[in-house]
Amino acid sequence: MTTTTGVATPRSAAELSTLLGQRPGRVRLVGSGSRQARLPAPPMALHMALDGIAAIERLDAADRTCSVDCGVRREVLDAELDARGLELPCPGGGTLGGLFASDPIGAASPGGPCPRSLLLGIEAVLADGTRFRSGARVVKNVAGFDVHKLLVGSAGRLFAATRLHLRLAPAPRASQWFERRGIDHDEALTLLAALRARAVPPDRVQCERTPDGAFVVRGRFAGRASFVAASLREHGLTAGAAAWCDHLQPPTNGEVVAGMATLGSLPGLLALLPPGSPFLWHGGGRCEITMPDAAATDVLLAAMTAHRLHGHLVHAVPERRGLGTPVPPAHRRLDEGLRNALDPHGILV
Amino acid sequence: MLSLERHLTKLLGSGRVLTTPDALLAWECDGFTVHKSRPRAVVLPESTAEVAAVVTLLHGTGTPFVPRGAGTCLSGGPTAGQDAVVIDLARMRKVLQISTVDRFAVVQPGVVNLDLTAAVRHLGLHYAPDPSSQSVCTIGGNFAENSGGPHCFKYGMTQDHVLGALVVLPDGSIVRFGDPAGPRLPHALDLTGIFCGSEGTFGIATEITVRLCRDQEAIRTLLGAFGTMNAACRTVSDIVAAGMTPAALEILDQATIRAVEASVYRAGYPADAAAVLLVELDGPTAVVDEEAAEVRAFMAKNGALRCEEAADATERKRLWKGRKGAFGAMGRLNTDLYVLDGVVPRSRLEEALVGIAAIGSKHRVLLTNVFHAGDGNLHPNISYDGRDPEQTARVLAAGHEILRLCVDLGGSISGEHGIGSEKLDHVGMMFDAADLEVMARVRGVFNPRGLCNPGKVLPQRGACAEPAKWPAMVAKVLAPEEHR
Repeated sequence: MTTTTGVATPRSAAELSTLLGQRPGRVRLVGSGSRQARLPAPPMALHMALDGIAAIERLDAADRTCSVDCGVRREVLDAELDARGLELPCPGGGTLGGLFASDPIGAASPGGPCPRSLLLGIEAVLADGTRFRSGARVVKNVAGFDVHKLLVGSAGRLFAATRLHLRLAPAPRASQWFERRGIDHDEALTLLAALRARAVPPDRVQCERTPDGAFVVRGRFAGRASFVAASLREHGLTAGAAAWCDHLQPPTNGEVVAGMATLGSLPGLLALLPPGSPFLWHGGGRCEITMPDAAATDVLLAAMTAHRLHGHLVHAVPERRGLGTPVPPAHRRLDEGLRNALDPHGILV
Repeated sequence: MLSLERHLTKLLGSGRVLTTPDALLAWECDGFTVHKSRPRAVVLPESTAEVAAVVTLLHGTGTPFVPRGAGTCLSGGPTAGQDAVVIDLARMRKVLQISTVDRFAVVQPGVVNLDLTAAVRHLGLHYAPDPSSQSVCTIGGNFAENSGGPHCFKYGMTQDHVLGALVVLPDGSIVRFGDPAGPRLPHALDLTGIFCGSEGTFGIATEITVRLCRDQEAIRTLLGAFGTMNAACRTVSDIVAAGMTPAALEILDQATIRAVEASVYRAGYPADAAAVLLVELDGPTAVVDEEAAEVRAFMAKNGALRCEEAADATERKRLWKGRKGAFGAMGRLNTDLYVLDGVVPRSRLEEALVGIAAIGSKHRVLLTNVFHAGDGNLHPNISYDGRDPEQTARVLAAGHEILRLCVDLGGSISGEHGIGSEKLDHVGMMFDAADLEVMARVRGVFNPRGLCNPGKVLPQRGACAEPAKWPAMVAKVLAPEEHR
């Protein structure tokens, strides 16, 4: 365990439990520090860096599951899985703990796998140092309440998940990326609708509007070679290099709103955006919008609220982080109740 | 002052409040018939507003209540205590909205699982989770139990198909979770995820938004009959190791095959086979053709006695008829059936089956096995005469040991049936006091007074590993070391 002024680096769940049990005051859990969406930490908060808890406990190819520590980096796990013909079939990088706690992208395709569907169970530590487990290591389990599902998107405010039990998928026998650039709004939506209507859609698909107002639709077909080739032909797509984009580039002065929209609500959302605002929509429903300034963001959030769309700021000056469309009051009350129940002293910030 | 029953009648009318002992008989248990209890009353609301009004009344009077769908649960989840009111949602059976563009439907909780698929079939869509009881079980019950089914190996459990819900909380307030664009709002906790599988203890879903799947171009169903169970399991391992994810991988053992073939669910399974493996492949025609050839090769490699492929939809239905009717066919074997629901890592299936057979012999119970081999989800079924207490005790003791075996092999005490009241005494095999305390805290947020489906999922504090709810005779049957 390493502890320097303001930063602690436990090397195991036991060390983390001991550190938290010492009541160190406010604590900010940190993975690789790659997330931008979090509320600013209070100045006196101890940063608990979890990237030192980083063992891959087991990879079970026969069962298509693995158990990994929260600090394992995505690329490290991917390399191990690749060697065994497996993959973690959701996008996103950083540490595994950070990816699941922030859930910034969701699924890469309509109905596709996402952190919440891949998380089978956890071993975790409460803010007071109590260790607990939820879920299981096997692919099917309904024993007990799924407390582990609360990890996804919790941003480290409920508990520290130190080990994650994950569902894996076989690496596809063949795959091919495609990208159609420079198309207009209507053409992009038509192509997305055609891809969405397939019985087997691309395993990754996204749509981006670039600053010049043009649209790009890109994705990947995966499966057997014959299927991949036939799918590209069916939609008149040409094979290209991998071009997936997890996030929009944060602007120097502007802000980024993250939201969610179905394909059917995309035209309505696009109509709310300032012309030329960069926009990125993942096939699973999550989207990002770059806004030129705070005033424009406020107008957009108000319009999204009126259209029953959900979004919040993920890149902004610290005092504006956390702004978003309203969460329904009863929902918010439950969210706060869960925070109070699991961290009654508000230690995790 | 009006009695509670009179208040309920004022809210719903006399025809939708049942209180006479005869009328309540049908609600005394679910598919887990070991635990029976006639509720105080049954109410039949037809809207979210009526559910909220009833729950507000019950909350105000401190009356426990239990939501219920079709009562097909196999773990005692919707079985109510004598002081509790059952809120039966069977009359809330409207499909409220269907979106073909975004492929979702909004349904009331009483919509029958298979009826939803029937409602969207003409659009080339279906609802994927398919519990064996899908012709009668409801979407609300599926959501509460996080139900599975044969096709969840490829398509996932109910939680993977629910996008959101309108929920009446145990204090009568109403909250909406999720959105058609996703089950978790981007700046909120995953309430849809934690609610799904909470077994009716967190509130009552009155509208559920579910994902619909596009029908696949081709479906191929293959049957392999094997001389040994190990050969069937090895074939499953080969299929998975080859990177395939069939829609379903189901195995029936010899005793089950014989029960099925002697019943109205007769499917033409070879009665001399030690195991039958059903493999269903779906997808684009060319892909399914390639996969079917590989599956046939694996069956041959493992010495299949027979390999059969359904030529058309009628034959496919026949092959599935035996599997879907397997539990019903057990009715021929004895008066009662205890359906277990353990999970083991797929790679340890053979080991688990050997152990289960040994446990069956030890306790002298009639054991049959039907299971979701792709998921490692075992359903050992014990046929017995529930009128015989000694026999019942041996059955429960065998069940206890089988679930212990599953946990010892790295698995779970329930893959899809839930804890309910049945497995309260087994939860301690998987979770310790700290784990259960965290779960209790979460339940307390939704259900602080504990009125909503009390006594389910979590054992009483300090009693998690003790078979306190069982007949005393069970404890005598179990050896002391098995009380862990």
